[in-house]
Amino acid sequence: MKPLFPLTLALLGTLPTLAQDNCASAVPITAGTYVVSTVNGNQVPSPICAPNGAGASAGEWYSYTPTSNYTVTINTAIGALTDSRVHVYLGGCGALACVAGDDDSGVNNTALLTFNVAAGFTYIIAFDNRWSSSGFTFQLVESPIVIPVFSFSPLTLPAGIGSTVAAVDMNGDHLDDVVRVTELQITINHQQTGGGLVQTVFPTDTADTTPYWSLAAGDLDGNGYNDLLYAGGSATFMLANADATAYIENSQTEWIFCQRSNFVDINNDGHLDAFVCHDVEPNVYYLNDGQGNLTYYQGGLGDTPDGGNYGSIWVDYDNDHDVDLFIAKCRGGVGPANIDQLHRNNGDGTWTEVAALMNLADNQQSWSSAWGDYDNDGDMDVLQGASSFTNGGHKLMRNDGSTFTNVTVGSGFDVHSGQSIEWITHDFDNDGWLDVLGGGKLLRNNGDMTFSLHTVTPTNGPVGDLDNDGYLDIVNGGTVHMNALTGNNWLKVTLEGTVSNTSGIGARVEIQTPAGTQIRDIRSGDGFRYMSTLNAHFGLGQESQVDQITVYWTSGIVDVISAPAINGTVHVIEGLSTGVATVTPEATLSTFPNPVDNVLYLSSSLPLRNANATVLNTAGQPVLRSVLREATLDIAGLAPGVYVLQVEQEGTLLQERFVKR
Amino acid sequence: MRSVLRSRAPKSLALASLCAVAFAACTHELVGPDPAPDDAPADPVLVDLPSLPYPVLSTYRFFVGELDQLEPNAGVLPFAPINALFTDYAHKNRFVWMPAGAQASYVSDHEPLEFEEGTVLIKNFWYDNTAPDGERRIIETRLMFRRNGAWEFANYIWNPEQTEAYLDMGGGYLPIAWTDSEHGAMSTTYRIPSASECFTCHKVNTDPLPIGPKPRNLNVDMAYPDGTMNQLDRWVQEGYLAPGFPSGIQATPDWTEASLPVVDRVRGYLDMQCAHCHSDERHCDYRPLRLALPDTQDPVNLGVCVLPDDPIDASVTHIVAAGDTTRSMMHLRLSSTDGSVRMPLLGRTLVHREGLALINEWISSLGPPCP
Repeated sequence: MKPLFPLTLALLGTLPTLAQDNCASAVPITAGTYVVSTVNGNQVPSPICAPNGAGASAGEWYSYTPTSNYTVTINTAIGALTDSRVHVYLGGCGALACVAGDDDSGVNNTALLTFNVAAGFTYIIAFDNRWSSSGFTFQLVESPIVIPVFSFSPLTLPAGIGSTVAAVDMNGDHLDDVVRVTELQITINHQQTGGGLVQTVFPTDTADTTPYWSLAAGDLDGNGYNDLLYAGGSATFMLANADATAYIENSQTEWIFCQRSNFVDINNDGHLDAFVCHDVEPNVYYLNDGQGNLTYYQGGLGDTPDGGNYGSIWVDYDNDHDVDLFIAKCRGGVGPANIDQLHRNNGDGTWTEVAALMNLADNQQSWSSAWGDYDNDGDMDVLQGASSFTNGGHKLMRNDGSTFTNVTVGSGFDVHSGQSIEWITHDFDNDGWLDVLGGGKLLRNNGDMTFSLHTVTPTNGPVGDLDNDGYLDIVNGGTVHMNALTGNNWLKVTLEGTVSNTSGIGARVEIQTPAGTQIRDIRSGDGFRYMSTLNAHFGLGQESQVDQITVYWTSGIVDVISAPAINGTVHVIEGLSTGVATVTPEATLSTFPNPVDNVLYLSSSLPLRNANATVLNTAGQPVLRSVLREATLDIAGLAPGVYVLQVEQEGTLLQERFVKR
Repeated sequence: MRSVLRSRAPKSLALASLCAVAFAACTHELVGPDPAPDDAPADPVLVDLPSLPYPVLSTYRFFVGELDQLEPNAGVLPFAPINALFTDYAHKNRFVWMPAGAQASYVSDHEPLEFEEGTVLIKNFWYDNTAPDGERRIIETRLMFRRNGAWEFANYIWNPEQTEAYLDMGGGYLPIAWTDSEHGAMSTTYRIPSASECFTCHKVNTDPLPIGPKPRNLNVDMAYPDGTMNQLDRWVQEGYLAPGFPSGIQATPDWTEASLPVVDRVRGYLDMQCAHCHSDERHCDYRPLRLALPDTQDPVNLGVCVLPDDPIDASVTHIVAAGDTTRSMMHLRLSSTDGSVRMPLLGRTLVHREGLALINEWISSLGPPCP
């Protein structure tokens, strides 16, 4: 019967369908062509599965139960080219859950939606009058099922006020949360340990500026909870209180034409600082002394007099384990303000601008750049994505150590006609190769420095793992586009600094697998506007083991974790994961607490009284000697850092590492 | 005694009535002895170029009598371009001063006049009927002066007493509330620009440049104390403009002139609000719009059915979606006060309702729908 129905319709011309005013009266349909005479049903489709939010006042409802697995296309550009919008649900009328939706993918803003269906399930298809109540004709076409390279399912968040700016952990559980802000409140959808996003609104004092240009997150005050930086016409900090149950507003007075902002430890003193790109002046930053004082500076990190600074990204391009600064720049006309800059961290508090030296001094108009190790050879490459093609197109630059080599031709970026202010990289399909989101496409890394273009529903927005399934999700406005892929292995690494900043921002995380090496830098602020997860996420493809995780902290401390379990999260506390492994089998020494503030408590299988105790720094130099009178050691005078305690008694030397806060 | 508002003479009959209303509204300020009796010439304007900018505005002696009357000194010539940039409904007036022997020369209808060393352009910004006591409040006086063959900026912020204005290149904010007959009670946090903000709009490539004094913007009558006259002719008479420029300079369409075709009004409006960035070699020339008057004969340069480089909002399909304001980036930009969405980005925190209505009228009139 199935083929007959559309045939009949075709013979009769247009047959108005009736009785589809609400979900309960949804008209069952099969593949075929149907006429909607006018969009006037009393039930407005909700949740909204398509772009462009609320605004509809009526709907038209159909139900569809496929007999086989298909790839289905719904196309509203069959007759009149009405500006139509469609939503597709599962779950029945009482519990509609989005499967897919579309607004404008067809010609003249008609809807054109392709999605996969499973045999026997009933899909509810609803059109609304977001743009027009005029009638139209739509076609539902069944095709042999094609498993997509990328697939996302929309999840609508409860209504919250403010624009979505971050997908980052806010309550210290290292599970990404969704953050939306206004000048008066922070709305956080906290990811629960068992799954689900629970919304809480935190009223704040009035922020002098909202993050209308960008937002960054990081634990500025080192209390274990991420704080926020609103970058608009100035900088406003929102500081989490001692248990992240309230946010304390701290607005700075300096006028700044903000663009990308970042938290980063600029002077490597263990405390996060705040960096802000200035559109029309030299860049600015606030140095944090760790005592609650922020001091404003302008100059030294991108000093073009009239600015042009749009996309700052802190990346260790030269593998010397300190953070360097790349700035994607943009400016009309002729002048230095649109030439990208790379500021090499010399490690001694000085910086050298080396973009020309490294073949990256490009006047292409760019608002952000996507840095990642696209060829998994152990160093960071860069996609300089164009915001406008007026000064040249996208450039894929391979890091060859002494220079960057333009490998755009044939890479896929040479045929990518999309432009955008946002360019980011993540492994969205968990195949072990970093993909790129930008210019309205998701570009899949084919593993050979070529990329294939894929159309996906989500556009650029904050990226995090919001259902803790190891696949990265994308937030657009009030919708979380949950990554619907499965089947590849993965590993996440979460960081807790003790000597370095608590967020671990600036750390390099490296994994070794039988297939090779993957690297991530922990960044507060990539792309142009949004704040994405601070967790290091690695896709593993079909690899079933990780041999080793190495974390290079900004303090210089290196932690190594051997053979972690995969398809899970490894939490690394700075300084606690490197075995010194010299404890003699028959004697033991342990210390408590760790990290420690002032007094270290010792316990040992040997008597400690009158034992010689020596504390060595990471360079092996003794910094404290003492003859123990009791089982404690006063280390209040030590600077924060990682140390080795040696205790000598009865001819036996025992060693134990500890971290001084 | 004349008030500044009388000397800020209207540029058209349509505006003359508005000005008269405004004048009536502030006559209560105009008390006290005549600050500049005609029989006692004031000291001349003082512009010692190497010493510029002076710490305070009064040093220049651009204005005689009580400073806040903004009564121009001899040689300080008022002018008014046909269209004005919207700056949160602030009132403005403008003057030009030149040293002895200096004069501007014509370059083209559409380019600013070429000015000589020592020329100063002066622009005052104020609100009338401000809260709480209904007084006029002058906020700032912006100068551009020509030194060593280049333009420089100097901005003066007025004290609350309105007795002096002080050099300040760092910019600032001033919360202000006022009432006007068209909009009722209004308020904003007025942004006084920093030097870098001035430069962002007033430049070509990296060279500072004035925007308003282009021949086509000045080719209109203005009421001077001694009678109404075409501004270009007046400049020549004053010795401020070299004669011999071409006749037939086409005047910029006045966006407020309801008798003009809507597209011409739109072109005039966008020329003044937007073209200083959306033109070749300007701040935002990497976007497709070209909004200077000579360019907007072509609807493509106005953005009609042009895809945005970056749609900002997924509902936007074109910079100008013919017949559909809600799908038009230009509508979104002009109706927004979000700091990263609004256009212009600088100089505006409020929606210019009348300008937006004009843009909407124009977009709605366009057809057929964009493909």
